[in-house]
Amino acid sequence: MEIIMIVLAAILFATGVYNILQKQLLRIVIGTVLISHGAHLFILTMGKLKRGAPPVEVYGVTEYADPLPQALILTSIVISFGVTSFLLVLAYRAYKLNQTDNMEKMRGSEHE
Amino acid sequence: MNNLAILPIILPILASVIVAFFPGKLNIVRPLSKIFMVVFLGVMLFITFKVYSDGMIVLQGGGWDAPFGISLVLDYLSIILVLTTYVIATAAVFYAPHSLSDQQEKFYFYTFFFLLISGVSGAFITGDLFNLFVFFEVLLMASYGLIVLGNGKAQLRESLKYVLINLFSSMLFVTTVAFIYSLVGTVNMAHIAERVDSIPAEDQGIVTVIGILLFFVFAVKAAIFPLYYWLPNSYVVPNPVVSALFGALLTKVGIYSIFRVFTLIFVHDTGVTHQLFIWLAMLTMIFGVIGALSTNNVKLIITYNIIPAIGFILMGIGLFNEDGLSGSIYYLMHDMVIKAALFLLIGALIVAAGTKDLSQMSGVIQRFPLLGWLFFIGSLVLAGIPPFSGFIGKLLLLRGALDQGEILLTVVALLSSLLILLSMIRIFIRGFWGEKMEGMTTNPSKVHALTIPATFLISISIYLGVGAETVLPYIDQISSYLLERTEYISSVLKG
Amino acid sequence: MVYAVFAPLIFAILIPFLSRIKQRIHTGWLILPVPLLIFIYFLQFVGANFETKMQSTTWIPTLNISLDFYLDGLSLLFALLISGIGTLVVLYSIYYLNKEEQLGHFYTYLYIFMASMLGVVLSDNVFVLYTFWEFTSLSSFLLIGYWHHREKSRYGALKSMLITVLGGFSLLGGLILLTIETGTTSIREMVAMTDVIINSEYFIAILIFLLLGAFTKSAQFPFHIWLPDAMEAPTPVSAYLHSATMVKAGIYLMARFSPIFNEVPLFFILLSIFGLVTLAWASYMAVRQTDLKGILAFSTISQLGMIMAMLGFGTTYGVFAAVFHILNHATFKGSLFMVAGIVDHETGTRDIRRLGGLMTFMPISATLAVFGTFSMAGVPLPFLNGFYSKEMFFQSSLGLEGSGTFVEGLITAIPIIAVVGSIFTFIYSMYLFFGTFRGGYKEDQLPTKPHEAPIMMLVPPAILVLGVIVIGLFPNIFNNALITHSADAIYGDTVTKDIKYWHGLDSRAFQMSLAVVVLGVVLYLTKDKWSKIYSVLPGSLSLNRVYDWIVEKIESVSNKITTSYMTGSLRLYMMLILTAIILMTAGTLLYSGGMNFNTVDLAPITAQEVIVAIVMAIAAIGTTVARNRIAAILILGVVGYGLAILFVMYSAPDLALTQLIVETVTVVLFLLCFYHLPNLSSEGQSVAKTGSNILVSIGYGLLMFVIGISAYNSRFAETISSYFMENTYEEGGGHNAVNVILVDFRGIDTLFEVAVLFGAALGIYAMIKLRSNKGAK
Repeated sequence: MEIIMIVLAAILFATGVYNILQKQLLRIVIGTVLISHGAHLFILTMGKLKRGAPPVEVYGVTEYADPLPQALILTSIVISFGVTSFLLVLAYRAYKLNQTDNMEKMRGSEHE
Repeated sequence: MNNLAILPIILPILASVIVAFFPGKLNIVRPLSKIFMVVFLGVMLFITFKVYSDGMIVLQGGGWDAPFGISLVLDYLSIILVLTTYVIATAAVFYAPHSLSDQQEKFYFYTFFFLLISGVSGAFITGDLFNLFVFFEVLLMASYGLIVLGNGKAQLRESLKYVLINLFSSMLFVTTVAFIYSLVGTVNMAHIAERVDSIPAEDQGIVTVIGILLFFVFAVKAAIFPLYYWLPNSYVVPNPVVSALFGALLTKVGIYSIFRVFTLIFVHDTGVTHQLFIWLAMLTMIFGVIGALSTNNVKLIITYNIIPAIGFILMGIGLFNEDGLSGSIYYLMHDMVIKAALFLLIGALIVAAGTKDLSQMSGVIQRFPLLGWLFFIGSLVLAGIPPFSGFIGKLLLLRGALDQGEILLTVVALLSSLLILLSMIRIFIRGFWGEKMEGMTTNPSKVHALTIPATFLISISIYLGVGAETVLPYIDQISSYLLERTEYISSVLKG
Repeated sequence: MVYAVFAPLIFAILIPFLSRIKQRIHTGWLILPVPLLIFIYFLQFVGANFETKMQSTTWIPTLNISLDFYLDGLSLLFALLISGIGTLVVLYSIYYLNKEEQLGHFYTYLYIFMASMLGVVLSDNVFVLYTFWEFTSLSSFLLIGYWHHREKSRYGALKSMLITVLGGFSLLGGLILLTIETGTTSIREMVAMTDVIINSEYFIAILIFLLLGAFTKSAQFPFHIWLPDAMEAPTPVSAYLHSATMVKAGIYLMARFSPIFNEVPLFFILLSIFGLVTLAWASYMAVRQTDLKGILAFSTISQLGMIMAMLGFGTTYGVFAAVFHILNHATFKGSLFMVAGIVDHETGTRDIRRLGGLMTFMPISATLAVFGTFSMAGVPLPFLNGFYSKEMFFQSSLGLEGSGTFVEGLITAIPIIAVVGSIFTFIYSMYLFFGTFRGGYKEDQLPTKPHEAPIMMLVPPAILVLGVIVIGLFPNIFNNALITHSADAIYGDTVTKDIKYWHGLDSRAFQMSLAVVVLGVVLYLTKDKWSKIYSVLPGSLSLNRVYDWIVEKIESVSNKITTSYMTGSLRLYMMLILTAIILMTAGTLLYSGGMNFNTVDLAPITAQEVIVAIVMAIAAIGTTVARNRIAAILILGVVGYGLAILFVMYSAPDLALTQLIVETVTVVLFLLCFYHLPNLSSEGQSVAKTGSNILVSIGYGLLMFVIGISAYNSRFAETISSYFMENTYEEGGGHNAVNVILVDFRGIDTLFEVAVLFGAALGIYAMIKLRSNKGAK
């Protein structure tokens, strides 16, 4: 199963990167979100999958899933969320001010 | 006493929250921030003294023994970088009111400023790889906040690129942490190092690959060739005080992380990793100076000069001998100070001349001699002319290089120094010398106010050169301690 | 000695204050005693029974850098020149520079130079020497640029700095290599370890690094081009730095290290070739100059070449003659510069084509010039010191020994080149004097009416000319008291030579001198006929054009390279970054053999998971092709929710919950922000671009896949997580291990995660608020 998950994460990375390489802002932002999904999936997979119950201590259960990767993912999800929200507003503002959502037109010049 | 280790990160966070309560009240926020910074600087001096007299301080977060909790490690290396950070920040906080508009100050400049310091200090002292990611995000978030401060067209445009590239590398960072976790099942750096040590030599291949991947994560932040493209424009658009903080701190956190990781964890295949660094260091120097010579925008010249300095520091890591590492550390410290100073000076110059374009400037020194001479000395410091701070680092680095017979590397480093000097002296000759230009500022007192914090930093640079003996033995101590590795590992894991 | 070096430096710092306080008195008077006292201090060491002297002060012991000042014959000679001529130059400058000039700056630079130059010649520690060395370059830069409102001054200043600092950095490389090889930073100890150095595998590198340092500083061909442009500096500076002292630093360096290199043929070959080429080329070029100072500049270059060559000969005679000529050159060239300055000052021009017939107006200056130029030309008269050293030069050029065809050929050529160079020296010397002081007086071409300079301005050159005569008449007094000590120091052994005026008619050297005079006179008189050659020979091959071309190209090529990739295009940046990562990581992967496909310890595959995975993959691919923005956002949502389902399946309920909430909020935010944005269009990128995008994306995905699989399959240690499960309740006080980790074990993560959110919220607020504020304005 882990192999399938690694393949899926790799696909998320590839599509994310492909989106980032496009011109339109929306696609680029979508690309970053896909990449963070891929990264989270990687963490989970690297901690091994389906090795037991959710890491909530219950009497009598001896096999639990690895709690540490989950904690790391949780932190990462929240941080990504913060950054993505910021990015969204930034993208919106940049669009408004520069009057374009095409990154290739937001090159700028040396003297401003 | 161990709790001292949390102060460098918690004090600025508190300050950050406190100043966020009075966004509009500049007459409260300004003096408050200054007082905070001066007090904090005193505290950091005390901690530095403590570390050097009593040995390194390790705080196991929440009282959990490593590797289960998060270790904060004030070792000889991290504390001097924290101290340098606070020194620069102190200069910046005195510079800011004269450089920023009221509007910008009101929009949480000081909050982001303290957040940035907290993130940078955290990145220096954390002993946990994932926690390093968190601190990276803190300092990046703060830098995002600072870069959009102006909220102008250019700021937003460049910060967009900056945020996107950094977001990409952050996610790669998380992924790399996952890979490492898979290999050794831990995220504490000392523990990783210990476990990587026990991996048999024939299985080190995958470790090296992941090391290289991690190198790229940091290299994007450190602006190493060929990953620095985001840097020049995003450092040029913000206010000089913000550029100074970025130039002095952000890339340095990246190179510090490379330093830490490649002296502690990935030291088993130096023939691949460290040799690669030497090549990249050369290319970084060359392309950096080429950039610095390519433009007439004075601020951009300074910005590009960040890049070769990173090349110099990387060179020492690549050499991986005592002289090389000492040189890198010295250079790192020196470069933080001088870059901040130069950005502050350039800010003053732009105010004085009323333009960023070198071809429009001339004769500024006739009205602002102090500014001119400080800039001149700053250029010499940057080019590594003795007896200033840049020379000490360069001497050690070159000694390390020649000790291993790296003649080509030496020649590249020396030529880059010459071209760095040329790029800086061009500003001095064309901007400061010559006939007095038209359209110089009508507000000289503002320029003087901007010059004072820079004077403070330049004095430190001079001191780090002339008074090198007061600092250098400690630096040598650091590099032998880094090469030894065991002290760090055992101090963190002793619990 | 320490005080002697640092006194000028201290005064240099005080000068800006002095010049402010004392407006009425010329600053020069206030500080004149400094070099004079230093001169007197060093004078006490002169004498037949001279003994070396050493003084040490620690500075940076960790790097073996200490202020070791060592006085031997060689440094004594230089110290006397620096302080002695320094005194005269300061005196001269008092009359040369007006009180209206920025005297504070001038004297500050000059005294920084004086201190550094003394430091160079007295330091035994190589890094201290290097420090002072760079400071001589820098003070020279500032002095050349003293009248920085002039374009030419700025040009000359930059040129001199670039070339001399290039040499300085090269010198640094050589010195570091020397310290590594010998393990010491003391020159004297290095000399004692000559064997180690000569047999070092880096010997060639050391030699080249050091030579480059010396050649740039001492203006040897082809690095001499900075010196003529340095003539933009005020004349006292030219007399002091650019003729008597600083330009001899390279000579000094070679002399200092010659005990080490003396026996090495390469040293002989390089030094004599460069020295003689410099001598011949510069004297040839000097004849062509029209600016008095230009002639003197090229003359200085050629004389430096001559000294360099003599050091290269490495014979006792050559070394002795070199030292003697250092002294002689300083006297006659110093006086000539001062006279040129006087002519400039009193007539308003230095263009020799506009001068002439000044003898009647300026008789004293003319007399001084006679002695200077004739001494320089080597006219055989017993009261001209230049003649002695010129003849010794010829003598030393004869009778060199060596083996190998190349070396033997060189040995045959040396005397010939020496004579040729000297002929041109003779010509420009005559030209200099007769062109300025004799011939027709061109009143209409002079900006001001010429008259003799104030008497005090004539005193310094007169003292130097007196030196010329006294040395010429009684060479052996100087010889015993000073010159032999210097030569001993260089040669590393006792060198005693008597200086004789008359060697007899059959002496080859004397015959060479005579040939020079005869041919020189003939060629001088027929100068107009053959001077057309100058339009051909340097012409477009001029080294100055090379320099200009390089400097110009550095900027334009840098600009071209940088703008070619710094286009501001995010796509390009990402492409370059990704390509670098993919290539280098994949390279490492293949090289270090880190791939590992031996799958172990896998969880079983179930249909539900596979379906979720497939849906997510399709959705992810769907985002790349979706045209409608709402659709794209919703498809992205599918990926997020799919991830949440996976979290549920893999026993991570907390994650699933968080992911659900975050995904929902994100989608809403997306919709809010992008509702007003234009719809997604077909990208309209060229096929090539699309192709490379796909290639890079797949490459990156593939790389991550391979590393991911390999990492998963390479487990070297058990994870630390069992500890968390064991302690989550007993120590952490909670049943949910993930929560306990977040709030307790890794509480710092969570705290700073909140800090990130805090920052993000403020940032968003600021962005929105600032806009509405602006709108209100």
